[in-house]
Amino acid sequence: MRAMRLLGTHWRIAAMNELQYRANFFVQLLHSGLSLVTGLIAIWLVFQYTPSLGGWSQPELLIVMGIHIIVGAVLRSFIEPNMRRLMDDVELGTFDYVMTKPVDPQILASIRELRVWHLVDFVLGGLVLGYGMIQLSTTTSALDVVAFGATLLAGVLMVYCVWIMITSTAFRVVRSQEVLNLFEGFYQTGRWPVTIYPVWLRGTLTFVIPLAFAITVPAEALSDRLSAATVVLAMSFAVVIVVVSRAVWRMNLKHYSGASA
Amino acid sequence: MPVVSVDSLTKTFRVPVRESGLAASVRSLFNREFRHVEAVKAIDFTIEPGEIVGFLGPNGAGKTTTLKMLTGLLYPTSGSASVLDHDPSLRERELLKRLALIMGNRNNLNWDLPALDSYELQRAIYEIPKDQYASRVESFVELLDLGALIDKPVRNLSLGERMKVEIGGALLHHPEVLFLDEPTLGLDVTMQQRIRTFIKEHSRKTGATVMLTSHYMADIVALCERVIVIHHGRIIYDGALSNLADQFAGYKTITVTAEQLTPSMESYGSVMSVAAQVATVRVARAEVSAVARRMLQDMSVLDISIAEPPIEDVIADVFDSSEPET
Repeated sequence: MRAMRLLGTHWRIAAMNELQYRANFFVQLLHSGLSLVTGLIAIWLVFQYTPSLGGWSQPELLIVMGIHIIVGAVLRSFIEPNMRRLMDDVELGTFDYVMTKPVDPQILASIRELRVWHLVDFVLGGLVLGYGMIQLSTTTSALDVVAFGATLLAGVLMVYCVWIMITSTAFRVVRSQEVLNLFEGFYQTGRWPVTIYPVWLRGTLTFVIPLAFAITVPAEALSDRLSAATVVLAMSFAVVIVVVSRAVWRMNLKHYSGASA
Repeated sequence: MPVVSVDSLTKTFRVPVRESGLAASVRSLFNREFRHVEAVKAIDFTIEPGEIVGFLGPNGAGKTTTLKMLTGLLYPTSGSASVLDHDPSLRERELLKRLALIMGNRNNLNWDLPALDSYELQRAIYEIPKDQYASRVESFVELLDLGALIDKPVRNLSLGERMKVEIGGALLHHPEVLFLDEPTLGLDVTMQQRIRTFIKEHSRKTGATVMLTSHYMADIVALCERVIVIHHGRIIYDGALSNLADQFAGYKTITVTAEQLTPSMESYGSVMSVAAQVATVRVARAEVSAVARRMLQDMSVLDISIAEPPIEDVIADVFDSSEPET
């Protein structure tokens, strides 16, 4: 409850301030529009040669792409800016101020930043997703939608957990910015269903960087191919990764308190 | 009941040892050697409610390490600390709500936001009731002259202005204990004075206990009746600022103005400065009255004054004289 209130205040202020810079909105719009167009061209090209890609039809791939854009929006508007700020804080020594606040440092470090303009991608992703749904030949039940929502939330939570684990290594090795850039590279692979990739990459994208859970699994929910086993796996893995990432955070934080001068 | 109490508090850092050169760097990747550096060595002190205590020491003496242990940022290696009856290393919310840490060289407020927005965040974090928050902001605006500053993004403020809004933000929750690490670092004299006055006034009004480190003796003289001097991780003095000179400076200074100074001023003591008619001589404490008498006999003295040495000199002497133990 208290965390939600804090979150509300932080977001309200971040939004108020970013809304002053209108130029950023147009830059973001241009950027998002361009990456949308290149994404659509890629899908169109693929379907010039084949009626399905690894068992996914064109509308289904549009759904994957829509979810990829939406999850990307969450990543770039909420998760990534906070993680970068956390790393900067550790480097500058200002993380001390986070530690001396009467709030859990992980919560505070995860809610301070919001890049409002990336939310443009929410709308674009939603449009692509909606268009894919309309084109779809199968019908979507209410249960599918619920499964979609639940797996999407769990998937985003997993992505956050991976980020917090990577970022908290900053407490040990102060410069870990490069790892974040690596993650961005991996994220691009998520625009295709992970099932089309070779086994080793699929494994990585499922359990190391859980893009499969954040993007492919919710897309499966909407394209009538989600099995109960996958849902159980996704939910269990979410619980495991939340617990593990919290432990990793605490361990790394302890290192910060133990050694920094 | 002391607000801060520290008992045999010790902090040892484990520092990797690396010789220069590429080969040594590569070797250290596989076989790392460590050296133990004792930053703080079994220190003890207590601070009573409402006290403003100066924490002095040269760079690397252990001041910041101690402050970090008192604010829960570092775990002590051994010994214990208690702040407002809490163990700071547990970082309990009840304690953190009641203290504040201000570091002169590190920003707490968000650079991109106007200070007022950051204040609003502080309000949410410390759960300050709205009416109290409004009246505190109003009083800080008045006392620190923040009117024209709090609406601008912090990055657009000068160093001094930034420090003022920083201090305002850090005190919004009326902390009972305030740890200030070099709060006036790099500020001009007027701004230093302004911040000093504010801290003193705030502590008087709210009864806050203050522990302050500073390289500017003027800060210490203006704010602190008591000082704790730390050097090479040990406390070498804890007491009234006014007695510091008694204990550490074995001399006073005599400034004499005469119609004509005798040519051999060195016979009185070590000469610190000499001009046409005025000379300042450093004289051992025990000999002060005898030397003054001799001066009066030897010259036709127009004016004579005996003074404690400047506090900066005393401190410098203290640090020079106490060598590290091996």
